[in-house]
Amino acid sequence: MSGGDSRLLGRLLDWLEERAGWSFLVDLGKKKQVPLHRHSLWYYLGGMTLFLFILQVVTGILLLLYYRASAEEAFESVQFIMTKVPFGWLIRSIHSWSANLLVFVLFVHMFSVFFMKAYRKPRELTWLSGMALLFLMLGFGFSGYLLPWNKLAFFATQVGTDMAGVLPVVGHFALRFLRGGEQVTGGTLTRFYGFHVAVLPALTTALLGLHLLLVQKHGMSVPPSIAAEHKPGGEAPKSMSFWPHFLLRDAIGWCAALGVLAALAALFPWELGEKADPFSPAPAGIRPEWYFAWMFQTLKYLPAHILGIEGELLGILGVGVAALVWVLVPFLDRSPAPGNRVSRLFTLAGWLALAFMAVMTVIVYLPQGH
Amino acid sequence: MRLLKLAPALVLIVLMSFITPSLRAEEPPAKPAGPLPNETSCFNCHSQLDGAALEPTKLAAEDIHFQKGLSCHDCHGGDPTAIDDMDASHNPKKGWIGKPDRLHIPEFCAKCHSDATFMKRFDPRARVDQLSEYRTSVHGQKNAKGDGEVAVCVDCHQVHGIRAISDPRSPVYPTNVAETCAHCHADPKKMDPYNVPTNQFTEYKTSVHFHAIQEEGDLAAPTCNDCHGSHGATPPGVESVTSVCGTCHPREATLFRETEAKKKMDLSPCIRCMVCHSNHAILSPNDEMLGVGKDSTCTGCHAEGDSGYAAAAKMAQSIEALKGSLAQATSLLDRAERAGMEVSEDRFALQKAKDGLVESRVLAHSFDLERFLAAANGGIAAANAGVAAAKKAFAELRYRRVGLGLSLLVILAVILALAMKVKELGARPPA
Repeated sequence: MSGGDSRLLGRLLDWLEERAGWSFLVDLGKKKQVPLHRHSLWYYLGGMTLFLFILQVVTGILLLLYYRASAEEAFESVQFIMTKVPFGWLIRSIHSWSANLLVFVLFVHMFSVFFMKAYRKPRELTWLSGMALLFLMLGFGFSGYLLPWNKLAFFATQVGTDMAGVLPVVGHFALRFLRGGEQVTGGTLTRFYGFHVAVLPALTTALLGLHLLLVQKHGMSVPPSIAAEHKPGGEAPKSMSFWPHFLLRDAIGWCAALGVLAALAALFPWELGEKADPFSPAPAGIRPEWYFAWMFQTLKYLPAHILGIEGELLGILGVGVAALVWVLVPFLDRSPAPGNRVSRLFTLAGWLALAFMAVMTVIVYLPQGH
Repeated sequence: MRLLKLAPALVLIVLMSFITPSLRAEEPPAKPAGPLPNETSCFNCHSQLDGAALEPTKLAAEDIHFQKGLSCHDCHGGDPTAIDDMDASHNPKKGWIGKPDRLHIPEFCAKCHSDATFMKRFDPRARVDQLSEYRTSVHGQKNAKGDGEVAVCVDCHQVHGIRAISDPRSPVYPTNVAETCAHCHADPKKMDPYNVPTNQFTEYKTSVHFHAIQEEGDLAAPTCNDCHGSHGATPPGVESVTSVCGTCHPREATLFRETEAKKKMDLSPCIRCMVCHSNHAILSPNDEMLGVGKDSTCTGCHAEGDSGYAAAAKMAQSIEALKGSLAQATSLLDRAERAGMEVSEDRFALQKAKDGLVESRVLAHSFDLERFLAAANGGIAAANAGVAAAKKAFAELRYRRVGLGLSLLVILAVILALAMKVKELGARPPA
């Protein structure tokens, strides 16, 4: 950059500063400190999730330019994107792959926050907003899965919405609300499209704003084990400024993620499958997206009836109660004392939940007969 | 007050009028006149006898006539009420005719089966033309001339224990017909006097039709009576072969007749369909039948140098070219799909080539080279388009991989630059 150019840029920045006062953001970034310790790596997961979400928004908007949300045209429009639109295959494949990567990173982020006890006072609201964001992302995944209107998605949605119908009292209403009728039809597709591109993004924007604001307000949480090593009044834990040190490291991760996504999209473009046909029999090996697979497998293991109650209903209610306990964990595990018995119990429960989900997911993907 | 007293009776009447229709619906069917089939004098005695005299009572339970409420005396006459009195029950004055004469069995059965009024009591759609049909058959004609050896009703339908034709155990159920006919037609002792060959059943068992009906369970596939007729069984004449085969293969038959008419050809010496496809041993058609190769049926009539020979060679060549292009396109599209390319639209377009192949195979029956080549070339063009689409998919795949390589290099460069900046910043004390 020549001296003339840099002078011009400087003048432009000054002009903007006078009118927008944007430098407060840089100051904020410089002021914000990120603790440095042996678990600091987990701090990058939030930023990675945000990066993947932004990628979803950008690729999603591009797909919107060609996608047509009707049972007659949805499949054909995605086929058109994959074959005729320049780089359409890349955009759709990145959208699909990054959606999966996003959910994966989100789960890792959630478990890292859980095990580092970062949900404790005063970060209860950060945890709650994060959990709400996780459910919203699962909603994005569930609604987005149906949009290409292919056979597998059609029947997976049928099974998924059937599960909602099992719920007592509200089950039938929930099923009709999700499907827009008794059956999965073109009406369900337009409904899911509405959820996917309007309702969920609006809710996510609001919650994401709140979540980031809370993270900004409370700063990064230091795990109890690290905090115990630094007694009050003693040497403070090391830290680095958010800008530029942490953000540059974050950017390296984002670039790596982009590279991984590009490779996945180019080498394994996201399949389109066959167009959905409501009158054809359900294909063999039908299963939901991998992040719902553990729940699907659990329900399969349950007997038809347990103590006179329908097994599936009991399973869904059980998962619901477990999720509720998980969401409310900041209010159940409050003692700040390190090595507290209740705290250890929650950590153990976390590991058990993680192991259970992992094992169940692996079983689903094992070849038939195992 | 009087009205009040009458009220319970009125309520009862109303209730009864509601209940009555349902009670009526459950009433048992009216008992036929006379004793029940198994309560006749015939049953009473014959069920206590041995051997052939006992046999009818054992078979009666599965007999369609017996199930419909008819009994021994309805065919054989006599007095079914004369229990334990053989003379009275076998009294000719009571219509007793005993075992009917084999030669007159067709008329014997036709007494009921040609009586529309009687038959409609059991089945409103029952056919009553069996005897008149039978009289048109070789069996019927010989029978009329006094030949007592030819087939009559009981030879195919059995004597007692006659099952409904829809019963899979019936000898005239589609899967059993060939074997039933073969009882006589595969027996040289029975056929030699008539100078009729006995290899039909053996040949039929090698045919595509037998395979379809016996192994695939396709009851619509033809068995003996579908080509020869049931009661009017007769060998189809040369003129009617096309019509017989055309019953199930109408497109081929139409093309054949069109060409005959258009080219004023007389193909009767070729016995039409049979010359290429045979009669009883009709094998699954294959492309080797067309052309001038060793398995060709065309060379049976056409010799090198005539126009038919050249046309056959050209047809076979086109079929092979179409099959080759189709196989190549399918294989390449499969590979492209396995590599992750979206080729479903191209696969769908390839259906045109498959249709072209089917169409040209059918058009071979028109013996019209121009029509044949139009279909075959259309198929070849569609298959070639499939090959081109697959090659385009592979070119796109290479482009993507090169693009990926370049993108990864750029991304790697950015990562390295960022890492260097981080290292440079790391050397300075943290803020």
